[in-house]
Amino acid sequence: MDEPPDDPVPIFGTWPRIYAAVIVWTLANLALIALFSAWAY
Amino acid sequence: MTPLDWTVLVVYLVGIVAFGVWAGRGNKAMDDFFLAGRKMRWWAVGLSVMATQISAITFVGTTGQAYTDGMRFLVVYFGLPFAMVILCVTLVPFFYRARVFTAYEYLERRFDARTRTLTSLLFLLSRGMAVGVTLYAPSLVLSVIMGWRESTTILVMGGSTIAYVFYGGNKSVIWTDVVQMGIIWFGIFLCFGVAIAQLPAGFGFSDALALAQTTGRLRVMDPSPSLTAPYTLWSGLVGGLFLMLSYFGCDQSQVQRYLSGASLTQSRLSLLFNAFLKVPMQFVILLTGVLVFVFYHFHTPPLLWNAAQMRRLEERAGPEELAGLRARFAAAHAERRQAAEAYARSRGTGDATSYLTAESALQAVRGDAVRTIERLNGGARYNDTNHIFPTYIVTYLRGGLAGLVIAVIFAAAMSTLAGEFNSLATATMIDFYKRYLRPSESAAHDLLFSRLFTLAWGAFACLIALQAGRLGSAIEVVNRFGSYFYGSILGVFALAVLTPRASAAGAFYGLMAGMAAVALVSRLTAVHFLWYNVVGAVVVFAVGLALTALAGDRVRQA
Repeated sequence: MDEPPDDPVPIFGTWPRIYAAVIVWTLANLALIALFSAWAY
Repeated sequence: MTPLDWTVLVVYLVGIVAFGVWAGRGNKAMDDFFLAGRKMRWWAVGLSVMATQISAITFVGTTGQAYTDGMRFLVVYFGLPFAMVILCVTLVPFFYRARVFTAYEYLERRFDARTRTLTSLLFLLSRGMAVGVTLYAPSLVLSVIMGWRESTTILVMGGSTIAYVFYGGNKSVIWTDVVQMGIIWFGIFLCFGVAIAQLPAGFGFSDALALAQTTGRLRVMDPSPSLTAPYTLWSGLVGGLFLMLSYFGCDQSQVQRYLSGASLTQSRLSLLFNAFLKVPMQFVILLTGVLVFVFYHFHTPPLLWNAAQMRRLEERAGPEELAGLRARFAAAHAERRQAAEAYARSRGTGDATSYLTAESALQAVRGDAVRTIERLNGGARYNDTNHIFPTYIVTYLRGGLAGLVIAVIFAAAMSTLAGEFNSLATATMIDFYKRYLRPSESAAHDLLFSRLFTLAWGAFACLIALQAGRLGSAIEVVNRFGSYFYGSILGVFALAVLTPRASAAGAFYGLMAGMAAVALVSRLTAVHFLWYNVVGAVVVFAVGLALTALAGDRVRQA
C-alpha cells in the first residue's frame, strides 16, 4: 500500500496517513450531517 | 434577465472559449492532445475531475430535488471518499505505470483484445448517447428561462465547447475546468448567501431549518435495510461506493483526467482532493435548495415552474378553471405563510400540525394544476423540478447576479461536455482507429484525426440533443442500458488488478454474466438502481473467478 512516492506526499508525509485523514474526515462529515439532520432547531 | 445579466453571460461565453483556445496551444502529438503532455498538477486535475462530474443538471436538478424532496440525495456521495482511497491504492497505480491512454487499453495487456474492445465499445455507446442528454437537458431549461429556441441554446453551448476542445484537447479541458469550477463555487456560495439574506426580517436561519425539518427535508440518514427504498444510508454507503468506483475507476471521461497528472502522486492527490471536498460541497448545494423552499413561503411561487408550460396552461385551460386554480393557490399560499410564521414564533412549545396541514393543502392545489397540464398535454407526465432553481435565480437575483448564475449553469454543462468530447475521441482514436486501422502513422496525422474525432463526437452530441424531443424513449433505453454494465465493467477491472490468476475468458464471459444479472434484477425486482453496480461487479468477479478455477485451460483456449 505504501510504495515510494515519485513526488513527496504533501502535509501528511505518507500515503497511509493521507488515506487515514480522508477516512477520518469523511466519518466526521457523516457524524456532523447526522447531527444536523436530528438537531432540534 | 436584464441587459447587465446578458452582458455577464456573453463575457463568460466569449472569455471561456478564448481562454480555452489560449490554454490549449502547443499540441504536437497525441500525448499532448489527450493527456496534456502528462504534466498537470494535482489541484488543476482535481478541479477538472470535480467539474467533469458536476453537470448542469446535477446543479439545477439537485437543488430542485432538495426543494421538492429534501436532502436525502446526499447519501449518493457518501461512498465517494472511500472509493477514492480504494482507487488510489488499486487501479490508479496500474493505469499510471502502464502509460496507457485509456482504461480499456490496460485490459488488453492484462486479458485480451476482445475484452478491451467490448468495454471500450460499451463506453462509447453509453457515453455517446449520454453526452447528448448532458447537452439537451440544461438547454431545455435554459431555453425557457432565457427565451431562446432550444436549438439555439444547444448550438451555443455545444458549439462553444467543441471550439476549444477541438483546438486544445485535454489541456483546454483541464484549464477551462479550473476556471469553470471557480465560477461554479462562487455561484454556489452566492446562491446560498442570497437565499439566507432574502429571508424576511424576524425569520432567521434556524427558523428556516426548523421549518424544513418539520417537512422532513433535512432528513438525510435513513437507516432502513430495504433494497428497494431510495437513498437509504446503506444504499449510499455500499451502492454509492460501487457507483463511484465504477465512475472514477472505469469511465474514460474521469480516468483521462487523472492520467494527465505529472506523476503518480499528482494523479492520486487529484482524487483525494475530491474525497475531501465533494460531500461538503453537495451538502451546501442541497441546503441551498432547501433554503429556496423556505424562501418561497414568503414569496409567491408560480403555479407551474416551467414557464412555457405555464403559458400553455394559461392559453388552453378554461378561464374559470384557471382563475379557480390561481385563487385557491394564492389562498393556500397565504395560509401556509401564516402557519409558518406562527410555527416559528411558537417553536419549541407549539406543534406543527397547522403548518403541515397548510403545506399539504398548497401541494394539493399544485397537484391539481399538474394534472390539468398533463390532461392538456394528452396525458404526458409533467415534471418541473429542474426549472425551480433557474426560475428563482432570474426572478430574485439582481445587479447581474442572475446572468452570473446562468453562466454557472453554462459552466457546469460545458465542463462536463468538454471532458466527454475529449474522452470519446480518445477511446475512438486509441482503442479502434490506432488499434485496428492505422497503428503507425505520423504524429501530425494522429493529431489531425484526434481533432476530427473530437469534432465528430461534438457534432453527434448536438445532433442527438437537437433530436432528443423525438428520441425521448430511445435515450431512456440507452441510459438504462448504461446502468446495466457500469458495475460489470468495474468487476472486470477488479479481476484484472486483484486476481493475478483470472483468465481472459473468465473476464469476458464474466462481463456478459454481470450485465445479464443486472438486466434481470432491473426487470424482475424493484431493487433501487444504486444497488445495480454492486450486483454487476460482484457477479462478474464471482463468475470470472469460477470460470478461471473450474474450466481452467479449457476456457482459456475457447
